[in-house]
Amino acid sequence: MKSVCQVCGFVYDETVEKIPFSELPDDWTCPLCGAGKQEFAAEKKEPESIVPQIEFGEEHLKLSAGQLSALCANLSRACEKQYLAEEADLFKQLGEYFASKAPVPADADADELAAILRSDLAAYPAVRAVTDANADRGAARSLVWGEKVQRMVSSLADRFLREGAAFTKDTEVWVCTACGFIWIGDEAPEQCPVCKVPSWKFEKMQGRKTA
Amino acid sequence: MKRYAVRNLRMCTKDCLCLFVCPTGATDTENSVIDKTKCIGCGACADACPAKAISLVPYAYPPQQPKTPQVITALHYLGRSKASAESAALRLAEAAGDGMYRLMKGIAASERILGADLMREAGYMLPQSENTRAFLQNIQHDPDYADLPADTVNRLLELLYPDDTE
Repeated sequence: MKSVCQVCGFVYDETVEKIPFSELPDDWTCPLCGAGKQEFAAEKKEPESIVPQIEFGEEHLKLSAGQLSALCANLSRACEKQYLAEEADLFKQLGEYFASKAPVPADADADELAAILRSDLAAYPAVRAVTDANADRGAARSLVWGEKVQRMVSSLADRFLREGAAFTKDTEVWVCTACGFIWIGDEAPEQCPVCKVPSWKFEKMQGRKTA
Repeated sequence: MKRYAVRNLRMCTKDCLCLFVCPTGATDTENSVIDKTKCIGCGACADACPAKAISLVPYAYPPQQPKTPQVITALHYLGRSKASAESAALRLAEAAGDGMYRLMKGIAASERILGADLMREAGYMLPQSENTRAFLQNIQHDPDYADLPADTVNRLLELLYPDDTE
């Protein structure tokens, strides 16, 4: 039997590896992207045909301050790619303004974060059904990467709920600046397991500045 | 299509063949940025560069692929929870010890990138597009953002849409 990593697509083939997938230790991780054992699923012969439906109402057209901030971040990045330094900086400033307007949750609640991430992840097939029905290639591509990245992020938040932050204690947290994939390890991977950019595209998360 | 040359500093290996071939001296600058006012868009520098660090970009971009209202609404649905997740992760980072701080910063950064990508696909790929212009113009009249930095928005409109007669 073959098990497939739902984050990066790595295939664990029992006939090659000798050890049955179910007998691997619980802390075994994907050799390619570092995702946990629970992110693997048995290889499917037929694609799933039933996609849960979500009603995407027009109320979603009104963007939140956080979304407006992400919009400005996207435009800033686009200007940067066009070598428009002043425009990139202006959009960055505008993004910071909208970020300052985003409501701050009253409590720091890891359960709440994990719940948002799980429900967001669960919505991907329904959103993908809409982009497919509208033959939108660009959106479909971004959703394929996005779903993989979000699966990794969600699994990290769940792991944090189970065991706290000990698993990041003596190592580094890296984020792929192209697709958002998170990698836990001393060094960034040579290549992003999701979007395939080289290691220098990864950014190391810096610790809190101590005064 | 009228174009001009730009250099990716990350890839430039200072072989300086662009200096040898440029007919106007546009590549000869102290800050390594090709002088747009001198560049005639001939492409000789891009052809000669052994590091492939120079490319030609257009002055005017073509209209973008149209997006249907259904796709936009569905992408915004995801974008909203990305923004909520980002806020929740930043709030957790604030309250956290070092290991958790870096993890939560990473989650927030990741949600930000995913949110920005969704926006790009929801019709905001190009800063020079009609959609972006409409966003910049309309947001100035939104009562939720009465203290919006007007100078920043006006300067962007001026830089990105120089042909506006308004």
